[in-house]
Amino acid sequence: MKEKILKKDQVKQLHEDLSRYYSFYAPTKVKGNIVFKKITNPEDIELEYLNSKIPPKEILFPRMETLFSYKIDEKNIEIEPRTDLEEKILIFGVRPCDAYSFSLLETFFNFGQFKDDLFMKKKENTVVIGLACNTPRATCFCTSLDYNGHPHRKDDVDIFLTDLGENYLVNPISETGKAIIDKLAWLSEANNDDLQKAEELSKKAESLISTKLDLQHTAEILDPSFNHPLWKEVSENCLGCGTCTFLCPTCTCFDVVEDVDHYNNRGKRVRIWDTCQFCLYTLETSGHNPRNTKIERCRNRVLHKFNYYPKNYDLIGCVGCGRCIHLCPVNNDLREIIKKINAIKNENKKEEVVVA
Amino acid sequence: MLSPYIPMLTTIKSIVSENGVNDIKTYELVFKNKEDEEKFDYIPGQFAEISLIGKGECPIGIASSPTEKGSIKFTIKKMGTVTSAIHNCEVGDIIGVRGPLGNGWPIEELKGKNIIVIGGGFAFSTLRSLVYYMLHEDNRANFKDITVIYGNRNCSEILYQDDLMKWERMEDIDVALTIDCAEEGWDGRVGFVAPIVEAVSPSPENAVAIVCGPPIMIKTTEDVLDKLNFQPEQILESLEMRMKCGIGKCGRCNIGEKFVCIDGPVFSQAELRKMHGDR
Ligand SMILES: Cc1cc2nc3c(=O)[nH]c(=O)nc-3n(C[C@H](O)[C@H](O)[C@H](O)COP(=O)(O)OP(=O)(O)OC[C@H]3O[C@@H](n4cnc5c(N)ncnc54)[C@H](O)[C@@H]3O)c2cc1C
Ligand code: SF4
Ligand code: FES
Repeated sequence: MKEKILKKDQVKQLHEDLSRYYSFYAPTKVKGNIVFKKITNPEDIELEYLNSKIPPKEILFPRMETLFSYKIDEKNIEIEPRTDLEEKILIFGVRPCDAYSFSLLETFFNFGQFKDDLFMKKKENTVVIGLACNTPRATCFCTSLDYNGHPHRKDDVDIFLTDLGENYLVNPISETGKAIIDKLAWLSEANNDDLQKAEELSKKAESLISTKLDLQHTAEILDPSFNHPLWKEVSENCLGCGTCTFLCPTCTCFDVVEDVDHYNNRGKRVRIWDTCQFCLYTLETSGHNPRNTKIERCRNRVLHKFNYYPKNYDLIGCVGCGRCIHLCPVNNDLREIIKKINAIKNENKKEEVVVA
Repeated sequence: MLSPYIPMLTTIKSIVSENGVNDIKTYELVFKNKEDEEKFDYIPGQFAEISLIGKGECPIGIASSPTEKGSIKFTIKKMGTVTSAIHNCEVGDIIGVRGPLGNGWPIEELKGKNIIVIGGGFAFSTLRSLVYYMLHEDNRANFKDITVIYGNRNCSEILYQDDLMKWERMEDIDVALTIDCAEEGWDGRVGFVAPIVEAVSPSPENAVAIVCGPPIMIKTTEDVLDKLNFQPEQILESLEMRMKCGIGKCGRCNIGEKFVCIDGPVFSQAELRKMHGDR
């Protein structure tokens, strides 16, 4: 199917047409921050942005989510499963790294004997319209990652948009995406100049990413490095605020709490984002805490993404969006941590040479 | 897709206080729906997320054996929010159960072996399940000699006294009960678990030792088993980590790349030695 052109002033039309079938989520500005919200007024859509502060994973894995509700009636209890999971969702304007995070989250939530039905049902009902990154941030490093990360990567979306200036180039990717484009008969045809321009923008965007990390051997270097002094060093200035994990598009940890409405004999069991950076996360009732200091907690974050993920799911648990670097209040830089880990390899090598 | 977060409902059929200070009780639960009972197809060593709707959930080992049909049992120590709330429950109250969860004792690998069950304190519930299971007439022939060594601080803390008395009278199981200090009227052994294991001196020949108890008891017992020439592959343990989901999703129970809730809670000493992680 051929590429199309969406004029910038037609985004309104697109919203009008698609919000008839879908709950239409798009980036919008709230108190100076870009976040993904359900859009009712297309004027609120903000597409001139670097990336959202809170990743769009929030739509499929909300900060707070009901697992089920219940009614308590004297000694009787009635459980009410979620009934709102059939909602058709469309997420518009997602950056390639965040779009990939949806695929990664799907791998995780679908893994093993127990599937996370809440995430999986929503994901199944979700259409993603991606938006190329023409101006990556200084903290972006998607091109270093194992998924062929690229500011113009199209693989994880249904439709892919590239901002050409006046217009968006519209690339139908999946079958669902093609069907949607078919329905939007008012889109105009793209010509060769448009395609060429998109190609140039893609090359330029790639060249703007200055960080190139070698992640090829990181997982294996981490294996014998559990007790390396590096962990003390890299956790020294960490405040344990959890920003790096709460705003990470691949972090999935949650707590489960009860939300009871005693006056109406009703309640909900809810899950809430949690983080391995908090000391309460692993604290047992006996008082024992396996990750008692920030050394263990910082180590867990890095190992989870760069060693446990590769072992369990055969992929790196990071998309290279750079949010954890950009938003850390004390400028802890994951890229620097990776470089230090990679340097351990050289240390080992040197030792080998000495031994030989 | 049935949500793995939704508990099945059960009713408390009986409550038995297991110790003198009354902070450990065994709850016998009966499923409200017959189909749920069939779905709850478990082996000894597995656990379940037990919930009091409106209060919360926590992981508890299954104390009954799959050979005891009609109900399931959990032995719960009063610790924090949920376990205290459960301790306030009465017969007839509703308890939610999600499970069975975790890997359980590797029954197939235990077949044809001499089994040495070593327990300390109240962490005896999934050991009770295992012993009960092995002694069942359908299963007994699958296992060779069964030895149980079980220690407690004093005799009022010994769990499952009725079962133990029964087992002590049986021909095809050896039971050694011990308490830390001598007490009037106690004619069993006296001393910590580790030296009693040393005294009983089980042979490592074609044997598996299964150890559950407080960390210090596990450590000292393992040293003794090592001395007796048990290989790390022949020693099994059941771990505890803080849990929420029990199904490998909430993240907190990991030791290295292993999730205790789905990859465990049962691990061999050999596996544990290979695992890099905080516990
Ligand atoms: C596999 C497994 C089997 C267990 N079997 C038994 C048993 O047979 N009998 C028994 O009495 N206890 C058992 N425990 C320990 C029991 O889960 C804790 O005592 C219980 O979670 C405390 O919950 P609470 O709500 O009363 O305490 P709170 O301090 O209010 O705990 C809050 C929550 O933290 C989590 N949590 C706290 N401590 C632990 C812990 N040690 N392990 C796991 N999660 C924890 C739970 O989700 C709990 O609801 C087991 C734990 C595990 C992991
Ligand atoms: S954002 Fe920075 S300070 Fe906060 S927990 Fe992460 S590394 Fe530590
Ligand atoms: S208890 Fe949630 S991952 Fe193990």
